[in-house]
Amino acid sequence: MKQGTLKILIICMVGLSQTVAADSFTDEDINQSFYPYNDWTPAADGYTPGVVIDQNNVDQFQSILDEALLRFVKDGWVSIRTAPTTDFPLTEDYVNATRQHAGEVSIADNGTLNNFVAGRAFPQEPQADDPLAGQKLVWNYQYGFNSGDSETIYPFWWTFRNVKTAKVERQLKFEWHFLNHNHRVTFDPKPAYVNNPGEIYRGIYGIVKEPFDLANTQILIHRYQDDTRRDNAWLYVGFQRRVRRLAAGQITDAFLGSDLMIEDFEGYNGRVTDYTWEYAGTRNLLMPFYYHNDMELADVPAQDADGYQFIDVEGQGNCFPKVTYQLRKSFTLVGKPKDPNHPIGKRVINLDAQTMTMASLVTYDRKGDMWKWFPIGKAHSDHHLAVNKGKGVALDDYAVVIDIQAEHCTTLQFKSQVTDDANQPKLFSVQNLRKSGR
Amino acid sequence: MNPKSTSHFTATLVALVCLLATLLVVPTAYAQDTEIRGFIENATFFREHGVGLTKSRTTLQLELSRAWQPSGLFSEVSINGTFRGSYDAVYDLNDDEFGENSGRSVCYPAPGNPAFFGILATGNPNTPPFPPSTNPCFAGIFPPPIATGAIPLPGVPGGNIGSGNPNQGLGLVGEDVHQFENGGVVLAYPTRPCSIDSRGCIDGYMDDSLNDLRYAEFNSRFDFIRELYLDATIAYDNGHELGFRIGRQQVVWGRTDLFRVLDVINPVDFSRHNIFDELEDIRIPMGILNVEWRAGASGPFEDINFQGIWKFEDFRPNNLGQGGEPYAILGAGNFFRAMNNCWENGCTVWNFPDSGLAVDFPAHSLGIRQANKPDFNDSQDYGFRVEGVMSGIGFSFNVLRYTSQMPSLRGGIESDNPFTPNIESQFHPYSLTFDIDFPRLTLVGASADFYVESLKSAFRVEVAHTSGEEFPNTLRERLFSESDVVRWVIGIDRPTFIPFLNKNRAFLLSLQVFGQHLLDHELQRVNAQGVPTLSEVGMVDWKNNYITTFLFQGNYMNDRLTPQILTAYDFKAGSGVVSPSVDWKISNSWRLTAAINLKFGDGAQVFDDNRGANPFPPFTCAPPLAAAGSPLCGAPFSSLGLAGFEPIGRFRAGPFGMGINEDEYQLTLRYRF
Repeated sequence: MKQGTLKILIICMVGLSQTVAADSFTDEDINQSFYPYNDWTPAADGYTPGVVIDQNNVDQFQSILDEALLRFVKDGWVSIRTAPTTDFPLTEDYVNATRQHAGEVSIADNGTLNNFVAGRAFPQEPQADDPLAGQKLVWNYQYGFNSGDSETIYPFWWTFRNVKTAKVERQLKFEWHFLNHNHRVTFDPKPAYVNNPGEIYRGIYGIVKEPFDLANTQILIHRYQDDTRRDNAWLYVGFQRRVRRLAAGQITDAFLGSDLMIEDFEGYNGRVTDYTWEYAGTRNLLMPFYYHNDMELADVPAQDADGYQFIDVEGQGNCFPKVTYQLRKSFTLVGKPKDPNHPIGKRVINLDAQTMTMASLVTYDRKGDMWKWFPIGKAHSDHHLAVNKGKGVALDDYAVVIDIQAEHCTTLQFKSQVTDDANQPKLFSVQNLRKSGR
Repeated sequence: MNPKSTSHFTATLVALVCLLATLLVVPTAYAQDTEIRGFIENATFFREHGVGLTKSRTTLQLELSRAWQPSGLFSEVSINGTFRGSYDAVYDLNDDEFGENSGRSVCYPAPGNPAFFGILATGNPNTPPFPPSTNPCFAGIFPPPIATGAIPLPGVPGGNIGSGNPNQGLGLVGEDVHQFENGGVVLAYPTRPCSIDSRGCIDGYMDDSLNDLRYAEFNSRFDFIRELYLDATIAYDNGHELGFRIGRQQVVWGRTDLFRVLDVINPVDFSRHNIFDELEDIRIPMGILNVEWRAGASGPFEDINFQGIWKFEDFRPNNLGQGGEPYAILGAGNFFRAMNNCWENGCTVWNFPDSGLAVDFPAHSLGIRQANKPDFNDSQDYGFRVEGVMSGIGFSFNVLRYTSQMPSLRGGIESDNPFTPNIESQFHPYSLTFDIDFPRLTLVGASADFYVESLKSAFRVEVAHTSGEEFPNTLRERLFSESDVVRWVIGIDRPTFIPFLNKNRAFLLSLQVFGQHLLDHELQRVNAQGVPTLSEVGMVDWKNNYITTFLFQGNYMNDRLTPQILTAYDFKAGSGVVSPSVDWKISNSWRLTAAINLKFGDGAQVFDDNRGANPFPPFTCAPPLAAAGSPLCGAPFSSLGLAGFEPIGRFRAGPFGMGINEDEYQLTLRYRF
């Protein structure tokens, strides 16, 4: 054998050995992953749906509350109303895409995915002895169906509150749009927009409506197919009348003064490869999953064209959602940033097993002290706006980031609409920032 | 306003009124989305060095927009308007400094005059030197010139400056920057608004009345209609869009702060606050047709767009602030007003032709005659830009044919020889007689922005080549010459965590470096005729100059408290500014900004002032040459390099050097609704 040929063969063998082979899956894996509640209901000792958990009885429910929520209930900041566990099925399109493509997916040596097309990359139950279980879970989240292929959130109110006094310090009113250029399963074109020279995976576009000093500020984020590539981000600054390139690498900065970092968006909004990910077990946790239309709603926004009303606030500082929680199967995922200068020590993420959304998140600072709590309330799309009926998305409906150390919170109230009406690629272009800017 | 352009302006105005009527009158039922918002603001600024209040401006601004449901050809239609009105009480509260009672009588200590001028004044070769003055004061309200020390040139009717130029309501050009300690020329300028004192007011350019200054937006150009434009988009099936924006608007090119390398489409109102206000507030919106072909993602481009613009509103120059205003960038307004007063009324110039002397110049022999604002047909601006994103890098290529918004002093106008009683009205090489013109320019430029991961920094770059610009040049007979210019800016933005100052919020560190290069620069140590000079002569502007800015901005209390320090430094001028400020968003409606604006550095700069030129041979021939019987005295020659702060050292000192004594304390309170 010639020396050159031998070298190529060795390189190929080394390459293959460094790539984790795709895992096979069964129908049972699919059923367990997407329909866990078909023939099973989570349970916990002493827990009956409908019970209200407060300071007086919280000790017996420690195992079904995440660490931050447990602390808040113990401190009397909030009481938890509970409701029966319900099914939050994702659209059959997403499930079918999983059936069709998951068998080909593997994790490459650099932590990215090979052969991913659409659907859930790893539908198999995570295994404690699988060193890549954490990575597989975060990829399931990253290419999950959190906002469908395309979503608009408008109106979208971010309210800065003092936890101690409940004083509203500032309120930002946004319009946000999300578009997956690839890995699409419901809206055409599927699975991807062909004309995508930038190889963008996802576009995020937001515009501030109020207050006046930020009005017309727009943000555009491009996330790329290549997860190792840094996002690009642009800001249209209303008072400068021009688009300003953002230093997109600085995603740990508080966004517009809120308690959220850009990295926090949707639960985790960074590159998968920026963190190490560890699967830390499966737990049944109380999480804010509910039917929006059955909740006791706020009286805002006023005069909404669809008669829509936000989830109301309650509890300490008016930081907590006035919703029912249900006991749900969750995977605990611990992410630790590789950057030693990152302000976060670790993220403890509770992924809802059925939807693979980040239903609650507790972050710790580098000293190991609990820093922030970030639950994202999920509404069933059949019990929400008419436009969402049948979309098979666990809708972002309410969220709060409570900075425990600063005793400050930012509440997020959503009107989520899974639609591709406005969300065409041109909306997610730099030129659109200029066009829309005033 | 230029009378010739009245009809065109009227057409523009009618179009604006129609847009306004549509915005306000069309029933809301047809509108998809209507937004109204605005603010009331008071800005109060106080200046050190005995000046006191420089701004007490109360502003009401309304912003309206109305969008319509798409129908027919257009996919999107909207009308947007910004209306602004303000009242600056500084002209009433500090009228001794800037209003109707501003200015004073000014005096020139003239120690006496050489025999040459005595002979010149009397025609008698035996006239002894003039004695030292006992009460030397400027302009014609004082006793005969021999007793005052001001030299009456033969061209001055009656021997001294007449009653049309009384010694009142005056200031000295540059006295806010220096004390004339280098013996340079001294000119007086009328300080009062043009409705109070019309001396030195240049028709159609720097002629604001007291009310024009008090109520800046309520003028003949209807500036209270700050912006009003129609937006319309035609969408095509392939995703492309054809967009139109027509009306009074701001069109912003470029990617940098403070500097205007590519951002030159709209003129700028420097009279609001020199260069220190946001450009968004000081750009002067113009009637522009702005057409964009938005191709989006095409070929290798993530985004590619083509833009054409045509400015159809009559030409407007930058507002530099007229003589007597609190903010007159480079002091140009004061200088221009002094020079126009000299042209119109004649004037006394101190330290002319040499230190310690004062000379009365007749009208039409020295100064600025008029501003020649171009007609519509001669001033239409049009430009083209390709802009897009490729491989994550934003880029643009820009071309603009436009009329300079900065004035050019073109010498060599027809003027009189002050040393003769005749009215020659002819070209005198090297004479300090000017018109203000606005040359046509061609700009070709490009810009880019990109992110560098290893530096965690966003970079912004702009470069532009401009041809046709004119600069003062004492080597040329008309005292100006053209030079191509290259300007560039590199900006670096780096959000940086400084944990001991704030562990949750990054600080913005933003550094910019601006460069300017005159490609046809002329500066030498011999004059145009080859005679060695006392100082460098030629173009006052630097051949190569660099200015840097640095912004350090933090945020506390969830961005409701924003402290920052902005600094800028002009390397050649040796002057800079440091401006710390705190912005406190008290609530969603109330906002308070406190700032200090401090200048530092060398201040005034010296340059050849053309006293050493010989525009009126043999009378203005340098005494050493005359004494030596040099044949050069028989013909005009360019400056021999006598230098001083005035009149054009200001172009070397730059906006920071000329503002060296404009240290200010500033407070702005805004209520939004």
